[in-house]
Amino acid sequence: MTLLVFIVSLLGAMAVGVPVAFALMFCGVVLMWSMGMFNTQIIAQNMIAGADTFTLLAIPFFILAGELMNAGGLSRRIIDFAIACVGHIRGGLGIVAIMAAVIMASISGSAAADTAALAAILIPMMAKAGYNVPRSAGLIAAGGVIAPVIPPSMAFIVFGVSANVSITQLFMAGIVPGLLMGIALVVTWLLVVRKDKIEALPRAPMKERVRATGRALWALGMPVIILGGIKAGIVTPTEAAVVAAAYALFVGMFIYRELPPRELPHVILQAAKTTAVIMFLVCAALVSAWLITAANIPAEITGYIEPLIDRPTLLMIVIMLVVLVVGTALDLTPTILILTPVLMPIIKQAGIDPVYFGVLFIMNTCIGLLTPPVGVVLNVVSGVGRVPLGKVTVGVAPFLLAQVIVLFTLVMFPDLVIAPARWLH
Amino acid sequence: MQKIIDTFYRVLEVLLIFFLSAMAVMVFVNVVMRYGFNSGLNVSDELSRYFFVWLTFVGAVVAFREHAHLGVETLVVLFGRKGRIICMILSNIIIIAVSAIFFWGTWKQAPINASMTSPVTKLPMIWVYGIGFFTGAGVVLIALERLFRLLTGRVTEEEISAFVGEDMSLEHLSERA
Amino acid sequence: EYNDRNIRVSNGINADHPVGNGIEAMQKCLDEKSGGKLKLTAFWGGALGGDLQATQALRSGVQEAVVTSSSPLVGIVPALGVFDLPFLFASNEEADAVMDGEFGDLLNQKLEAAGLVNLAYWENGFRNLSNSKKPVAKWEDLEGMKVRVMQNDIFLDTFQNFGANATPMAFGEVFSALETKAIDAQENPYVTIDTSKFYEVQNYVSETKHAYTPFLFLFSKAIFDTYTPDEQSALRECAVVGRDVERKVIRELNEKSLEKIKAAGVEVNTLSPEEYARMLEKSQVVYEKHKETIGAEVVDRVQNILADMRKK
Ligand code: NA
Ligand code: NA
Repeated sequence: MTLLVFIVSLLGAMAVGVPVAFALMFCGVVLMWSMGMFNTQIIAQNMIAGADTFTLLAIPFFILAGELMNAGGLSRRIIDFAIACVGHIRGGLGIVAIMAAVIMASISGSAAADTAALAAILIPMMAKAGYNVPRSAGLIAAGGVIAPVIPPSMAFIVFGVSANVSITQLFMAGIVPGLLMGIALVVTWLLVVRKDKIEALPRAPMKERVRATGRALWALGMPVIILGGIKAGIVTPTEAAVVAAAYALFVGMFIYRELPPRELPHVILQAAKTTAVIMFLVCAALVSAWLITAANIPAEITGYIEPLIDRPTLLMIVIMLVVLVVGTALDLTPTILILTPVLMPIIKQAGIDPVYFGVLFIMNTCIGLLTPPVGVVLNVVSGVGRVPLGKVTVGVAPFLLAQVIVLFTLVMFPDLVIAPARWLH
Repeated sequence: MQKIIDTFYRVLEVLLIFFLSAMAVMVFVNVVMRYGFNSGLNVSDELSRYFFVWLTFVGAVVAFREHAHLGVETLVVLFGRKGRIICMILSNIIIIAVSAIFFWGTWKQAPINASMTSPVTKLPMIWVYGIGFFTGAGVVLIALERLFRLLTGRVTEEEISAFVGEDMSLEHLSERA
Repeated sequence: EYNDRNIRVSNGINADHPVGNGIEAMQKCLDEKSGGKLKLTAFWGGALGGDLQATQALRSGVQEAVVTSSSPLVGIVPALGVFDLPFLFASNEEADAVMDGEFGDLLNQKLEAAGLVNLAYWENGFRNLSNSKKPVAKWEDLEGMKVRVMQNDIFLDTFQNFGANATPMAFGEVFSALETKAIDAQENPYVTIDTSKFYEVQNYVSETKHAYTPFLFLFSKAIFDTYTPDEQSALRECAVVGRDVERKVIRELNEKSLEKIKAAGVEVNTLSPEEYARMLEKSQVVYEKHKETIGAEVVDRVQNILADMRKK
């Protein structure tokens, strides 16, 4: 019964266009009213306590690092480097896109920002070289959503904080699945373009390749600092985030000199606004999460799916299908925030490794960024690359399929995630 | 009047820039001090968290003014102009209700937050938790003004298209993923 | 006279902690007294928010109960800072006598003034030090050691006063920080050193007993006052039943954890009475510095009680 109140009030408010954060607050109000414990202080206290968490500080710092990476010319150097490496292969620009996407993913945690940078540079080049434009746009969108799976990742931080799972462990566990997504995209790309009439870029002379690599070295140093620092235990994820931002600022300002000091306030303001939007949502979700817990809703759901508790693989398949459906209509952060408090108690009861579940859950919500009707990354590619949304949606189909296959492969073979995670941690 | 309001939001934006920069500097200095000088600032963990709270809740009002909070527009986009306006009215009423509850709860909780101090800086916690007054009131005022214009037929076409998520800027898109 | 009551008890720790045994015993006692009408629903691992947040929820009458250690609450009741003072109690017997006696009542009054009814003092226990450098047998051994402490003024001052580099750090990051030698040492009860596997990445454990932390079984005064006298006394009496079970289990578990730590090849040492006295002596500046904040009458009172006990 309480479950029904939760679902109806939340979906009802969102359906009439209430922003998700306010809809979550509304859902909280309705829940406590229906439980006979209406008290305005529940809203006030949980809202603010939600933001008063040191770990979450990683979010603004990684957002800032990502903004500085784009504004400071680091993204451009990474793409040039990928072109120098594999641009001359047949279908090479597609491989360039994925290679650059993976490198950028290991610096930034934002799918939209990465995708925008890739689309702005690569779609015109791919069009000129005779590639099918919607398909190229689809590939870039699919590459962009690797960002939250490979660390650093805002999605992992939000999940880790609301599920009480180690963010360091989530980061380490995301690396291999993220790379698998990249490999799957490259393979799919080579399959779909094998009959196309396309020209490869001329092979760059050795001197030029060395130069592009040299220029990109500063940018390539960033993942080493972030992952190396966390892996070696020198810094916590929060501290790694601030070091990454400082590094991107330094490289953008003094090495690449593409970031004039007068533009800095604008970059910081944009990062601050993005932070506020995400964090306000996190806070509102903690209100409804508190009430979901107090109302024992997970126990209610466990009652319905009792038979699945003893069959973890089947349970995972069911949950992944549900998340795929939810992901068609809901953005990444709200999906994580709404489903985590409901699912985590069930996952624990079924004895599924929370880190493993976290990686698959995040991967699934990232795939949701590519599914209509609400697929933010599709909108980004369509806007930046000037390709109609409908065509991008068709173009992304084979790559979307590839990522779903990767997802379910990992559902069937959990060791593909767990073994490398253990080795890396 | 409009000029005063614009100036007010300029001030808020400067505050946001200050909060984020100060947080970053405090945490960064602490990392450097821990490794470089084997020491640290005890206040920086605490103060950076409080800046974070203020950043979030001041920014939430600015974002609300700019229609930047994430919504699901799947259904409302299907409606005609009249249907959209009805949804906007309903939506603003819900937003006003929950924000007023947020304000009210902050009010009722004020005594217990005023009588608690933070562990390191000894700041009375009402300075942190009291931000609910600003955010609750700010959102209620903005939404009331919108509701008034919706009911008196003075809503602009830009607002309607912002409501159904048309022509979103790249900045707004990047807040969503 | 008993009504149906669902009492939500928030816990920052996990269900396998001895507090779980205490709550089980308390529930059994409540069932007998109330005929099953008073029900405790425990939430573990901070599912209803951190200890401080839950305590604030009690004060505002939003939630019924919380089991929390004293340290997070010093911002609300400064007198509780007395338990952060180094080397206050020397043994379990001293701690029990002081907590369950007039001094415990004194603090209960202060808690009540803040809107909190303390049903009984349970136990988190004595904190000890583990490190990767050398056995700590005297305060000088701590010089230059990087020690993780809780984010708490008195703890920071205590270790800085011994010349250590005291660093506050989130609990979740401690294991990997010890493993990678980013920090040398940490301090916690034996049970925590065991369950968090710190002993796997540390070479030495020293029984410093530098602080004793009680757990408080707090009830919202706003809600408690609406209960019938029968319900109130049942809760108080059964909280004491739970307390006795919890203390017994946690002390047994401490012994078991210590055995496990030893069996893992970690070198364990205790302080000689002389060195213990020197550490206490050295720490007097910390007492002086924080006496004002905690309340001079509170510090004097507990020290007088302890002095009397030690004379006998
Ligand atoms: Na990333
Ligand atoms: Na979608």
